[in-house]
Amino acid sequence: MGSVVSCLFGWNPIDRAALGVLGAGQRLAKQCSVEHVVVIVGGASETSVADASKFADVVHVAEHPLLASYHSETTLTALTQIGRSLKPQAVLLGNEIYCQELVPRLAHRLGGTPGGDALSLNAEEGSVVITRTVYGGKALAAIALRRSPAVVWVRSRAQELPQPMSQNAEVKRWPLDLEPCSKVKLIDRHVEVQEASRLEDARVIVSGGRGLGGPEPFTHLQALASAIGGQMAASRAACDAGWVPPGWQVGQTGKKVSPQLYLAVAISGASQHIMGIADAKTIVAINTDPDAPIFQHCQFGLVGDYRQVVGPLRDKLVELLA
Amino acid sequence: MNGEIPTREVMWNVTHVWVMYVLLVPTLLIAGYGLYRRLAAWRRGRPENRFDQPWERLQLVFRHGVVQQATWRHRFAGFFHAMIFWGMIILTIATTVVFIHHDFGLPIMQGQFYLWFQSLVVDIFGAFTILGLSLAAGRRWLFPSKQLVHSWEGSMILVLLLVISVTGFLLEGWRIAATNDPWGAWSPFGYLVAMMSKSWMSVTSMQWAHVITWWFHMGLVFVGLAWAPYTKLVHPITAVLNLYTAPLKPIGASLKPIDFESDAPLGVNSLGGFTWKDLLDLDACTECGRCTAVCPANTVGKILSPRDVILDLQELSHTTKDFSAPVIDATQNLSPEALWACTTCGACVEACPVSIAQMPKIVDMRRHLAMEEAVVPDGMETAIGSLEARGHPYSGTKFSRLDWTKDLNVPQLADVGECDVLLWVGCGGALVERNQSVTRAMAQLLEKAGVRYAILGREERCTGDPARRMGNEFIFQNMARENIATLERYQVKTLVTACPHCFNTIRNEYPELGGNYEVLHHSQLLDQLVKEGKLSPKARSESKITFHDPCYLGRQNKVFDEPRQLVQLSSRRPSVEMQQSREKSFCCGGGGGMSFVDEPANQRVNHERSRQILSTGADVVAVGCPFCMTMLEDGIKTVQSADPPQQPIQVKDVAELLWDAVRDES
Amino acid sequence: MNILVCLKQILDPELPVRDFRIDSAGRDADRRGAGLVMNIFCANALETALQFREKHGGKITAIAFGSASAEEMLRKALALRVDTAVLVKHEFAHRPNPLAVARVLAASARKLGDFDLVLTGRESGDWGDGQTGGLLAEELGRPCLSFVDGIKADPSQPTDVQIRRQTDEGSDAIEASVPLVLTITNNEHNVPRIAKTRDVMQAFKQPLTQWSLSDLGLDESSLADELSSTEIIELTIPTKQTKCEFITGDSLDERIEGLAKRIVAVVQS
Repeated sequence: MGSVVSCLFGWNPIDRAALGVLGAGQRLAKQCSVEHVVVIVGGASETSVADASKFADVVHVAEHPLLASYHSETTLTALTQIGRSLKPQAVLLGNEIYCQELVPRLAHRLGGTPGGDALSLNAEEGSVVITRTVYGGKALAAIALRRSPAVVWVRSRAQELPQPMSQNAEVKRWPLDLEPCSKVKLIDRHVEVQEASRLEDARVIVSGGRGLGGPEPFTHLQALASAIGGQMAASRAACDAGWVPPGWQVGQTGKKVSPQLYLAVAISGASQHIMGIADAKTIVAINTDPDAPIFQHCQFGLVGDYRQVVGPLRDKLVELLA
Repeated sequence: MNGEIPTREVMWNVTHVWVMYVLLVPTLLIAGYGLYRRLAAWRRGRPENRFDQPWERLQLVFRHGVVQQATWRHRFAGFFHAMIFWGMIILTIATTVVFIHHDFGLPIMQGQFYLWFQSLVVDIFGAFTILGLSLAAGRRWLFPSKQLVHSWEGSMILVLLLVISVTGFLLEGWRIAATNDPWGAWSPFGYLVAMMSKSWMSVTSMQWAHVITWWFHMGLVFVGLAWAPYTKLVHPITAVLNLYTAPLKPIGASLKPIDFESDAPLGVNSLGGFTWKDLLDLDACTECGRCTAVCPANTVGKILSPRDVILDLQELSHTTKDFSAPVIDATQNLSPEALWACTTCGACVEACPVSIAQMPKIVDMRRHLAMEEAVVPDGMETAIGSLEARGHPYSGTKFSRLDWTKDLNVPQLADVGECDVLLWVGCGGALVERNQSVTRAMAQLLEKAGVRYAILGREERCTGDPARRMGNEFIFQNMARENIATLERYQVKTLVTACPHCFNTIRNEYPELGGNYEVLHHSQLLDQLVKEGKLSPKARSESKITFHDPCYLGRQNKVFDEPRQLVQLSSRRPSVEMQQSREKSFCCGGGGGMSFVDEPANQRVNHERSRQILSTGADVVAVGCPFCMTMLEDGIKTVQSADPPQQPIQVKDVAELLWDAVRDES
Repeated sequence: MNILVCLKQILDPELPVRDFRIDSAGRDADRRGAGLVMNIFCANALETALQFREKHGGKITAIAFGSASAEEMLRKALALRVDTAVLVKHEFAHRPNPLAVARVLAASARKLGDFDLVLTGRESGDWGDGQTGGLLAEELGRPCLSFVDGIKADPSQPTDVQIRRQTDEGSDAIEASVPLVLTITNNEHNVPRIAKTRDVMQAFKQPLTQWSLSDLGLDESSLADELSSTEIIELTIPTKQTKCEFITGDSLDERIEGLAKRIVAVVQS
């Protein structure tokens, strides 16, 4: 009897991202008519284990002092041991950087096929077929991973949530045989404050333009940005006018950004500005002018006055994200 | 001495005149050495041929060295300089006359000539000299400005010349009074001094005053002579040399190609890297400061000062022994920051009364930074990288070269094989959204006029102009050769383009790489088509339009009138001329790679030009260049955003304006 | 230290969307008429290697496994003054997957000698698998760290390096012993430098080692296992919605709520 393994890290809570992995694993397991096995690596809290066991047939908790936090070699060794023992059809992980790092190496050690950024996974003709965007979002590929196991990191938040099983999973402790790694040593793990990261790396950006008329409205925009974990940016006009720091400028002669969400408030959408946000996944705009060029590049938007929209929008976002 | 031939006794009241001749020796030696030193420095520059077309060159010397057309552009300075110049000329002739008369024994300084010229004319011009010097001094001391170099030397020169001039009249006056010169009144100003002195000085005291002042005056003159070659007073010589060897081609053709086969350093980062002509340029500088005054970068507060680029290099050429030592960053005026602020508009070159080429030296130094050190400002680096990777500088554009042709039937050369005129679209015209409508208007106008045109479409690559201005001559040449190969393949003879940068590069810069074509700016062709009756515009608009001369079309290639014709044809109201127009047009700030660079918000050239446009009260500013279009739209929007008017000023290309007047009303 | 930098030539990521086409087989992008460039993360890796050599000495070998067009890219690496450039040429009908690429690169690395550091970009701008570095590490039997944006030699231990790598929350500072495989990501310190013009001109005269698979004792059939492990079933261009959906609602409050919901959906995706 094969299995589909969903792999989670014990030091993370069972949040939306983790649930996404579980959902994908559960679905794939069902398609393959195999067990859905969840492996939690690292010290997991009772709550996490309990949460995970709602969505699995079996939960293996692999605890070891050396697995208390991520280590490129040790964590890989642990997963390899587990993988070789379970011999699953597929191993799924989330889209964290550590997972992306593990996937190809784990696939190689298990003699399987790596895959990544999977939007969907399906069992077709005995292989796991994933779909993912390629060429900077210009195309969509369906890739069959023919060598088993398929070891895939999924775009967790794009996955559907898992369904509770009829009964909770059996929880087993997995005994691991691990040696400390002498070749690679973690010296320091640094957690950064959000604002310090670069605009080019920001996932969510809220940007203001000429229509805001002055520096004051940007503080309201900042509140909106904070509500959705976003960073601030501006069009050249606002930077020129001295309303905001020049480092906020996005555009042909400013920064080029590629966020998941770019919210343009009172920005007309001149092509030079668009050049800076060409790689944004979703562009949204708030503008009083329905014919403003920015709307030609948006997925959705609101025609309205920022004065009447920004405050209430922020409140609503806080409410929805709570 | 009535009845005798009018003359005067030379060296009256002066004894031991031999001392003067003795002192002349060290004076001339010192002066000679000063000249020699400069010449020696020029000779350390690289070779260059500036001796072709002697007749054209002499004309330049006459026009700007004698008539002083360029100096006259600044009326006040032109006036007082003419006073000083002609005064000096006449006084020099007068002294020569004395020398010939006294030292060669040829009695020319007598009779009517003595009265009319040596006395009257010389006196008047002597007074002109004092007037001119006083006005110059007044300007310098009462109205100090950024334009002038306010140095000890600058003031001292004026003081020296004034004292020499005034003492000259004193000497004349005291001689006239003390000798009871019967023809004294023929020297009116000297005569005035004589009258005034007589009232309170005895003859003896006048004789004493005269002899002391005579030696003092001579001493000052000799000091002046010896000192002059070490100061800007050398310009009578160097300016004439400089005018004779000036560039004969339009400013747009100023840049020199590089031979990449040779081992010579790429670009210039040493005095020895410049040509002898460049080094001569340095010594011709009169410190007038007009170049800095008209420099758009300097006007908006950037540290670039063309005058100081020249003067700092000049100083280095006098003080540096090692002509291979780096000059970039030797001073703040020669810093990379200053060099990268240049828009290559050429206003400095245009303004210089002695034909110094400031801007090409800046580009020479940029070449070193771009090619030898490979360090350029970020925005420029991206643009150059994009040129290399995809043949255009607009990294991030969503457009490809044929997108603008949507719904239009635009013939492509690859399909039709040949054409009468190739419409060179340019990267701005194809890939920048706002400019696409200009290209469309142009295509539609050509079709309406029945012109057999075609475009290269995807086979068109950037002309390489941005790379060249940003100092990367290597990439420029690569791109140019590619384009020339394409043009040759299709046997293109005539091109028309709406971009003055493409216009200038293909017309003036491709020939030395083997590409010779007839190139027209679209305003020239459209104007021609209207004159031939192939286009019949009917002005419908009531807009008050002002035309902004693109630097690369107007100042650098002398095309001013055709775009104005088109502007006038497109509106029922008379167009209005900006104060800074034609050769004096103020740059939009987009040239020299500057449109790709992020500038500090309070140092934007386009904002300054936008303010100038706003002050005309025009409804529309007409342009003839894709860079001007985007720079001015941006600038006007920003400048007007503080106080948005009901009707914001529109920026339109002359082709768009003409199309509006020509198209069928629908 | 001996450094091997693996470079990949990809379709210009700035190719306008309108010009992006799928080839006739429907398995890959159509390369005709499109520019080819060095993958940006590979360029970051090369820059990292150059900076490391400047500070600590060593030799850099640049290698690419690709078609003949990759020579142009390697000339750029030579213009940046790498010590050796190697092109392993193939003429596969379909692009080789990361497993095959890793195997070839590993064989090349072993043939070229011992490398202390093997650098790759963290992922490529075309298929973006992000697997080649990790797979290469496994082929060579070395530890691997990804998303590295800084490498320094350890002054006290010549066989160690100090590494900074990006994480979801910030960064990890790691000390590791060579030999290692590292995949490099970008930050403000490893912006690729531009080559000096003389070096660009010289680059065309420099020796460039060219190998075919047989020089490595490999051929298409010996890589069959790897090559067949993945199969591109389909490659399509999603129909892009350029029409902006204007949020509707009877009242402004309703529209704001609608907008908020859509924003939350994107933020949480």
